[in-house]
Amino acid sequence: MLVACAVATTAMGQTTKTATKTRRARELSPAEVNILGSYYSQDGDHSPVTGGVGTEQLTDVTPTIIVNVPLDTVTNLNVNFGMDFYSSASTDKIDYNVSSASKSDTRTHLNVSLSRRNNARRIIKAITVGGSTEYDYQSVSVGANWAQSSSDGNRELSLGALAFFDSWSLIYPEELRGNGELLSTKRRQSYSLSATLSQVINRRMQASLSTDIVFQTGLLSTPFHRVYFKDRELPDIERLPDTRLKYPIGLRLNYYTSDYLTMRFFYRFYTDSWGMTANTLELETPVKIGPFFSFYPFYRYHTQAAAEYFAPYKEHSSTDTYYTSDYDLAGINSHKLGLGVRYSPLQGITRFGLPFSKKVTQLKGIELRAGNYWRSDGLKAFIISTDLNFTIPSR
Amino acid sequence: MKSQLKILLAVVSITASVLLSSCEAVRPFQKSYLNEEEMQLSARKVQSFEMNFESYREGAAGATGGKMGGGCGCN
Repeated sequence: MLVACAVATTAMGQTTKTATKTRRARELSPAEVNILGSYYSQDGDHSPVTGGVGTEQLTDVTPTIIVNVPLDTVTNLNVNFGMDFYSSASTDKIDYNVSSASKSDTRTHLNVSLSRRNNARRIIKAITVGGSTEYDYQSVSVGANWAQSSSDGNRELSLGALAFFDSWSLIYPEELRGNGELLSTKRRQSYSLSATLSQVINRRMQASLSTDIVFQTGLLSTPFHRVYFKDRELPDIERLPDTRLKYPIGLRLNYYTSDYLTMRFFYRFYTDSWGMTANTLELETPVKIGPFFSFYPFYRYHTQAAAEYFAPYKEHSSTDTYYTSDYDLAGINSHKLGLGVRYSPLQGITRFGLPFSKKVTQLKGIELRAGNYWRSDGLKAFIISTDLNFTIPSR
Repeated sequence: MKSQLKILLAVVSITASVLLSSCEAVRPFQKSYLNEEEMQLSARKVQSFEMNFESYREGAAGATGGKMGGGCGCN
């Protein structure tokens, strides 16, 4: 927290001087710091590491910090830094004899984006760079975004492009080691183009339509996932095509029913070149209890048809070209049900000073959210997440 | 795949047309309801963790206005 606040105040201290020289003196928006965290746990009996059978027990703790600093009246810097501390019983089965390195691991990720607003033309342009690293997987990303709103502010079109350049450290199941490289590449690239149209429908309703086109190439399977066959004793690693095209389209619709009730609706249709189609529905109904406190029950339903290359344990033929027993690619449906609470008073919850600065930080709001998740193959998960929202005035 | 893409394009076109044509001009001073925090057309920040695990536990992902990719999600 202190580090984030120091970053925010230092950046503002340096840039405010420049801004006042070159631009008409105007009040800068306060810097915003979000400290987020979540605890996730899951369990099931279809681990792909052991060929579609066996424990999927996993826990994941994810502290994250997001700092949004106005560098001047039109430029914003956004930094998102987080870590995942996870322990996984299934990846411990990569090696049946020795507890493997992936039994517990840490993933670290950082994203930095810079956006600039042209108020006269109502255009926002942004560039973003990011990266993540974990024991056997590294990822670097670059992207750009462009958005223009209409003169009355009732419509906005946003276009984005993003590229990921990922690399695996190839770790195979213990019984398949020693036969040289089983895969021809350890790299994966993902390219996505996205478009979002947001529209005010009337004084109480607004909607947005989003679509992505995602193209992936390279190693799209996981090197330590096993597949067992009906006609062979020895397993093989998962084999999947080296390209995949994904086409998701999503609709968001929010309706201000009354001063006490809002409806937030989301629907997504998804299809891809591996033969998977999916439909996802989500409904959230925030209920206001007084001006600053609200709670919101939420429900999500997802259904998907299996990818062409999926079959359960020992149902694949060893003569197939591609095969996986990963239930994430199976024909499944899932339900998620949960509750969130949000407290955000107009004047904030509390204020406190920062060391080495005269600025007063305000804890503006708190949000807590928890949900249970059930998948039709028996996987169950629970997640609880928090968001502490701080603001630091620019002067 | 091609027929699905055609359906997708048709859905996009129809929905976009409906969105653009069936709306009224709302002036800035009439946007008090629309400016409420709960009315924002994006997923909540605190929801990002759930979207992350859902994108791993389900084969489908995207079109949420957020990024896609990064991290193997292979556990």
